[in-house]
Amino acid sequence: MSLNVIQPRPKLTGREIVRIVLSMTGACLIGAAVLGLVYLGTDRYRRAAGEAAERQAIRDMLGLDAAARVTEVRQFLARGARRVVYRAAAFGDGAGRAHEVAFTLDGALAGDRDLSTAAPVPKDLAPLGRFFVATRSGGTRAQRGSGPLAGFVVEGRAQGYKSPVRFFVAMTPDFGIADMRVIETADDPGLGAEVAQDWFREQYVGRTAEEIANLSVTKDPMPEDWKAALVALAKRAPDALARHRALLERERAKPIYAVTGATISSRAVTEGVRATVDHVRRRWWLLAPRLEGQL
Amino acid sequence: MPSRARVLVLVALLLLAPALAAAATPRILSARVVAPSELRLRFSGALPRADAENFRLTTAREPDIPIAVQQVRPAPGNRFVLTFAQRLMPAEHYHLELVSPPIRREVQPSPWALLLTVMIAAAFINNFVFTRYLGLCIFFGVSKRRDTAIGMGITFTLVMIATAMLSWALDRYVLGPLRLGFLQILVFIGVVAFVVQFLDTMLRKTHPVLHRRFGIYLMLITTNCIILAVPLLNAQAGSGPLEALALAIGSGAGFALALFLMSCARERMEYARVPLPFQGLPIAFALAGLFALAFMGFSGLDFFR
Amino acid sequence: MSAVKVAGPVPRARELILNGIFAENPVFRLALSLCPAVAVTNTVMNGVLLGVAVLSVQVLSSVTVALTRRWIHPRVRIPVYTIIIAVWVSAIDMTLQAFTPALYAQVGLYVKLIVAFAIIISRLEVFASRQPLVPTFFDGLGMGLGFLIALVTIGAFRELLGSGSFAGIPLAPGKPLLFFALPAGGFFSIGLLMAFFNWVERRRTRGATAEPARAAAGGGHGA
Repeated sequence: MSLNVIQPRPKLTGREIVRIVLSMTGACLIGAAVLGLVYLGTDRYRRAAGEAAERQAIRDMLGLDAAARVTEVRQFLARGARRVVYRAAAFGDGAGRAHEVAFTLDGALAGDRDLSTAAPVPKDLAPLGRFFVATRSGGTRAQRGSGPLAGFVVEGRAQGYKSPVRFFVAMTPDFGIADMRVIETADDPGLGAEVAQDWFREQYVGRTAEEIANLSVTKDPMPEDWKAALVALAKRAPDALARHRALLERERAKPIYAVTGATISSRAVTEGVRATVDHVRRRWWLLAPRLEGQL
Repeated sequence: MPSRARVLVLVALLLLAPALAAAATPRILSARVVAPSELRLRFSGALPRADAENFRLTTAREPDIPIAVQQVRPAPGNRFVLTFAQRLMPAEHYHLELVSPPIRREVQPSPWALLLTVMIAAAFINNFVFTRYLGLCIFFGVSKRRDTAIGMGITFTLVMIATAMLSWALDRYVLGPLRLGFLQILVFIGVVAFVVQFLDTMLRKTHPVLHRRFGIYLMLITTNCIILAVPLLNAQAGSGPLEALALAIGSGAGFALALFLMSCARERMEYARVPLPFQGLPIAFALAGLFALAFMGFSGLDFFR
Repeated sequence: MSAVKVAGPVPRARELILNGIFAENPVFRLALSLCPAVAVTNTVMNGVLLGVAVLSVQVLSSVTVALTRRWIHPRVRIPVYTIIIAVWVSAIDMTLQAFTPALYAQVGLYVKLIVAFAIIISRLEVFASRQPLVPTFFDGLGMGLGFLIALVTIGAFRELLGSGSFAGIPLAPGKPLLFFALPAGGFFSIGLLMAFFNWVERRRTRGATAEPARAAAGGGHGA
């Protein structure tokens, strides 16, 4: 396919050059204007869709109903002043009240105030991360460590074999694992990417905080009946727990079975889950008394 | 001692006192992470207290969560070896603080090592042709003979570097501050077209011989997916200028390597008896598949592990 | 189905569409725009999303050029075509990001790279700049459909064999031949499917050597 004309080109007159420049500039400007319109039209939907997806994921992972309240806690670092600043606001609510708490790096309280959610974040605060706290609306479901608190959802990161692994961990109020989902991994399918499979991540669900803190990974192959049970448990059928009770008792105390051929990724994810749970625990211990009113 | 000599000694001591004091204050000369969970420090001056509470290590990403120190062990040569309860990553950025004397130190791999990692990753681990399957449009067309492959590889790398840096600058200083991110595709393809046209015209005027040899490759570069993918990846990751440059060099080198390997293999293929339906492009795809399999072997390549 | 000539009487809609799907199928016959053919065909849904994106960009660009070709100076037609394609690609990219975020997350980069596809600009140059609006629309539609069908075919092949599922619905227990889910498997799948199409074409036009030689010589002009 030849895009260039072979015959000799006639010289351009001045008028033609002006016409060319004008038409090209016009095309660029019209194009940019069209894109601007499309951007304005779709941006709102994009953000709304992103928020809706996160809210749905939080509700699914913690088993909440639509009336539950989700609070988003954003963490910032005031580098110069060596302070960590937390801002808690109802998730998705752009017009309500937010609560801001600041701590020094050693954990001493350095500030506590109310402000509007729409208040802009000062330039010297660098975003560090965020997590979600869910509270029930006085429902009838009973859970361990009850109280209005329904659980936490945090994003964690780990360095896999080839690329970072991002995952969500949902925790019960006493920091046991309620659910775990891998959202992004660019490792090879069949090897490192297998950590996203049901049967691998379901191994973390149901473990208490102490078990997670001391969790290890074994290279032993996973028994087939346990693998099938994990896949069934991941589907969250109401009778699954009862049906597989014997297997659960047998395997619950054992370490995590690594993915065959992907020990490094398996260990990385385990360590990442441990670190995520530990960090949320520490931060919540500082934050909880300060955020009572906001939740 | 005569009184004048005494005065001289006193003055000398006064002048040298700050220097002596500085020499006595311990400074950290080097801090190195040694896998799996050790931090090796070399001090100048007196060693600080060998006490776990004296040291505080945090990651740059989570500065409020100190990593528990298990053991502090002095080592020969004015060093300390700190062992931690958790794995340390040599490629990670840490903050180290001492309580007494109050010293703060950043522990991170050298920027050159990081850039080399980006380059090697772009050329081998995430090779744009064999792992990300980009640039195939040109790849199968130009890889039939070795000299065309080399010519295309060189031209492409040079154009890639120019385009990537120009696009990075436009994105960082024009599109970003003005929040015109949605114009990225338009601007980047414009930069590509401009650079290609500029080089073509310049080459035609200054080096007609080179233009006759490499001119055709320049025109083909505009439809190469990689030339657009690298600025987009840089913009997505928010890379700094050196990382953008490293990615451009690495991707160009990786593409040139892929072209060269493929051309060598395809030249040999001309002597093989290929079944009729497979002749031409299908067998070239099968060859590319074999190369892609081989490149999977680079998966875990990591300088720091 | 012989290749459609652009000079002479204006071709009918049905001929144009069938031409785009079979005789001049962009992936299997013209060997153009191969990047996404390997990259996004590890599952059927990814292939569908990118196929739909390319179809939209092709149709919209062809229609735009057919409507505005009077004002485009011949000397700068390629840059102007590029601008038009870039605008439509950006628009489709933003739309997909807003309305199908989950699927978009996997193929995001490749949707943006549609602007570098040779197939679209070559169709504009060869067809849209010379023919009136309605045939241009059907030609764009045919090419886009050909691309979509090619991607779905390769995607189905790879997903069935590599992951044992189709469009996310698991069909076989476990993964029969995981190799096909890997990038290397993508290259092999296309090679196999291309050879298969060549063989079919040769049998259909037994005796005539013009058509199969096209794909075999496709390695010569990969632009």
